[in-house]
Amino acid sequence: MKNAIAIAKKELNIYFATPIAYVMFTLFVVIGSYFFLRLLGAYEQASLMYMRFNAQEMVNRLNFQDAIFRNLFGNLGVILIFIIPFLTMRLVAEEKRQKTIELLYTSPVTSNEIVIGKYLAALFILFCALALTVTYPVLVQLVAKDPNGVEWRSVLLGYLGLFLMGAAYLAIGLFISALTENQMIAAIGTFVVLLMSWIIGWTASEAEGWVREVVTYLASVSHLDSFSKGTLELKDVVYFLSLVALGLFLSNRAVEAHRWS
Amino acid sequence: MIEVSRLVKSYRDLKAVNDVTFKVEKGEILGFLGPNGAGKTTTMRMITGVLPPTSGSVRVAGFDVFEHPMEVKRRIGYLPETPPVYTDMTVRAYLRFVAEIKGVARNRRESEVERVAAKTNCDKFVRRVIGNLSKGQRQRVGLAQALLNDPDVLILDEPTVGLDPAQIIEVRELIKSLAGKHTIILSTHILPEVVATCQRVLMIAQGKIVADDTLAGLQKAHAGAVTADGQMGPAPSLEEIFLKLTSA
Repeated sequence: MKNAIAIAKKELNIYFATPIAYVMFTLFVVIGSYFFLRLLGAYEQASLMYMRFNAQEMVNRLNFQDAIFRNLFGNLGVILIFIIPFLTMRLVAEEKRQKTIELLYTSPVTSNEIVIGKYLAALFILFCALALTVTYPVLVQLVAKDPNGVEWRSVLLGYLGLFLMGAAYLAIGLFISALTENQMIAAIGTFVVLLMSWIIGWTASEAEGWVREVVTYLASVSHLDSFSKGTLELKDVVYFLSLVALGLFLSNRAVEAHRWS
Repeated sequence: MIEVSRLVKSYRDLKAVNDVTFKVEKGEILGFLGPNGAGKTTTMRMITGVLPPTSGSVRVAGFDVFEHPMEVKRRIGYLPETPPVYTDMTVRAYLRFVAEIKGVARNRRESEVERVAAKTNCDKFVRRVIGNLSKGQRQRVGLAQALLNDPDVLILDEPTVGLDPAQIIEVRELIKSLAGKHTIILSTHILPEVVATCQRVLMIAQGKIVADDTLAGLQKAHAGAVTADGQMGPAPSLEEIFLKLTSA
């Protein structure tokens, strides 16, 4: 574990010494803010309209969670698909290309420690990126006249969902990075896999019976949405954590295979 | 200290290393010589545990590289062909990281980094980013990294590549000063380097050992063969012996 933390610190050193972390944060916040402002505008329009027609019933039903944050988390989830490949592409591929991986192989460090260390560093970046977007619910809370304001429990659950999904995506990206020496291939491969895991959900609406059930379960979007709604279900947690475990296990196998080839 | 026995590495039909056996005693500096592609790097990578051998075994300080890799890795400092440096890190951050994964205790880490940086003359550019250093400077950072935690065994793959003549002399002096305490295998195809630093020479050609002797012993063994009239000729230079043995 000590070695894993040493490797994580090294990876973070590189993330922040190169523009990667800053570009990632900027992209995430700029695109996230765009979605947030659009959703906020739509919320404002809707509430004005209901008030003009004196639809008290509708005004009562309007709440931040359903109107803003549920959609916002869905959108942030899509941004993660575009950003995570850039976060993970370097992790192992670049070490192979620069031959620095030999340093790790000749040091008293296990393959597991290499994988866990790199993964922890990427998780930390993901955590920071998500933490930056907490400004949105804080802003809403500050300007809201509604005495109930933001439902923090639901918002935090949404963030937990985003973090778990990001964690699963990072594990997949790490594995793909461990398969190649080429960062571009790692990035594109990861992007394709993540995008597939998202859009496979679209076919669910066309399928029937057990196929529909399976496809819905496989699609990451449905699991994220159940968090964004403000519910915590075991099956969603299990889905993301098993992807994390699978990704890390395969990464470990890929590193071992490279070590002994 | 290092026992290599019947080491083989084959890539399909090609035997990169073919039945190599040798021993290095504690404190000895072994010059590992051979033309490019003879199997020097492959052998060294198998000793350090980067590359699994096809057959044969390597023992370092009594530990088998395959069965107790961690024990072996704790005792080895390795400088590969290309110095394994992270180009985005500063020299100091890099050396700190290597010290950490090599298990240097936290309270000794800073002084250990200072020590190896001073020894390899890296101390003037420890604050710079490695990507901006010259090839010779990077080579010295790679050497500094190998010296961290004061390993018993040093495996140096062409340590003077890319250095200027003054630096080459410095590095040779450094390696000589390490003799006695450390066991060193030094690969090179620069012959004067061997004459200047090594007590023993191991020559390899096409994956096989063609000579394993002291420099004086080699000269003696090959002296007679040089002249045709039966007289002992002048002691041949290492170049002559090298060309004779490796061209076969």
